[in-house]
Amino acid sequence: MIKLTGITKSFGRNQVLKGIDLHVNKGEVVVILGPSGSGKTTLLRCINYLERPSDGQIVIGDSIVDCKRAGKQDILQLRRKSAMVFQQYNLFKHKTALENVMEGLVIVQKRPKEEARERSVQVLEKVGLGSKLDAYPSELSGGQQQRVGIARALALEPEVILFDEPTSALDPELVGEVLEVIRKIAKEGITMIVVTHEMGFARDVSNHVVFMDGGVIVEEGTPQEIFSSPKEERTKQFLKRITPEWSYTI
Amino acid sequence: MGKEFEITYVFTLFIKLLSALGTTMFIVVASILLGVIVGFLIALPRLYNIPVLRPFSQVFVSFFRGTPVLIQLFLIYYGLPEVLKLLSLDVSRAPVLMFVIFTYALHSGAFISEAIRAAVTAVDRGQVEAAYAVGMNSYQAFSRIVLPQALAVSIPVLANIVIANLKDTSLAFSLGVIELTGKAQTLVTATQHFIETYIALAGIYLLISIGLEKAFNKMERRLLSHERSAVQKAEERASYSLLSSYKGFVTRLKLGKGGSGL
Repeated sequence: MIKLTGITKSFGRNQVLKGIDLHVNKGEVVVILGPSGSGKTTLLRCINYLERPSDGQIVIGDSIVDCKRAGKQDILQLRRKSAMVFQQYNLFKHKTALENVMEGLVIVQKRPKEEARERSVQVLEKVGLGSKLDAYPSELSGGQQQRVGIARALALEPEVILFDEPTSALDPELVGEVLEVIRKIAKEGITMIVVTHEMGFARDVSNHVVFMDGGVIVEEGTPQEIFSSPKEERTKQFLKRITPEWSYTI
Repeated sequence: MGKEFEITYVFTLFIKLLSALGTTMFIVVASILLGVIVGFLIALPRLYNIPVLRPFSQVFVSFFRGTPVLIQLFLIYYGLPEVLKLLSLDVSRAPVLMFVIFTYALHSGAFISEAIRAAVTAVDRGQVEAAYAVGMNSYQAFSRIVLPQALAVSIPVLANIVIANLKDTSLAFSLGVIELTGKAQTLVTATQHFIETYIALAGIYLLISIGLEKAFNKMERRLLSHERSAVQKAEERASYSLLSSYKGFVTRLKLGKGGSGL
């Protein structure tokens, strides 16, 4: 379970998050939508403290962190209970796919190497990269790199995986394979918070949709509520801009 | 000046000069090892923006980059004992070699710190964030993720620094240290064969430099192996294994099947 209460974040005088409350149940897939500059990526990065929130409280599982008083140990706790998939993959370039996945298991979770290797191979097979274990990131396509990124997060067995626009940097023909993997692990009941622009994905896979604009949550609800009958004017405008007027699916 | 040129002397003098090779290499190795430590100590305050130490680092680097190493040698050899005397430490009996190594360590340390700084900033911030997101602390992220990649990037610059250091050691003779150049001076005085001595001396420096260059190239290749594509690696393997060419043949066959355009 993840609970955010009153999260604010300012860069200098510019307040990017203006008090966010968010509750995510175990096994839920939450999608955060919003125009660029709405603060959705910043919010996601506040959850694992890649950005330090100015104020508020973050709860992941049994870790409760008060942002005003957070110390090094608190931050490590949050990071060890979460995992992140980045827009630019951010794989460790000097390590193979297998080593990328093993790194956290061995160095952070202190698991024995053999066990870590077994677990990593298993997860890489799940994302369809069983044949690329010894490939370096430079030898992989964008889609494959992102799937290694997903495997790296998944192997840690975190309470929540944070996805920061996981398909935005990919060539259009590679988006499908990555979304397919995310869809697959979503079905296994892993808690996920996803920032994305893929509307179809949001509609099909998520249990809960959050629409953000100007540093606040404007509206949230089930995908049906948000996509079919949005209540707020800003949500309607955003959806109108981002979804085509005509749908060509039969 | 001197005696008539005689080519055979180049070889005999070459052999004689080799007796001082140990001293030169000792200065190089000791001062580079110390220099790496100095480099780290100087680079860290600038990398992590540590308030009081940062300007100190900047002044240190400016001084040792901006003044000739010969003058640094004199300043440290004559000046340091005076300064230490104020702290009632007597170093007047310390061997000259110690001052020489100390100077070269500080001198190359200044350059190494700049190499480290450039290399660390070259590792992209995203990988550090990924390391944090996995749950590493900042020490783990630095030693496991940043350092190995920074090292690989900095190898060509380090090679330059080591070779420059090797050549700079020739100035140590001015303090009376009998390293290669010092030895050459004594041989010149003894034999009066100027040109032959200096040809032999240049030859020795050149050979060591070429050796160092080769070693660094090899190291760079190894550390950067992750940046070469599968195709490049297979090509290399194929060209290396001309003698035991079976393996190379197989890899080429496989690539041929994959239609990678080889």
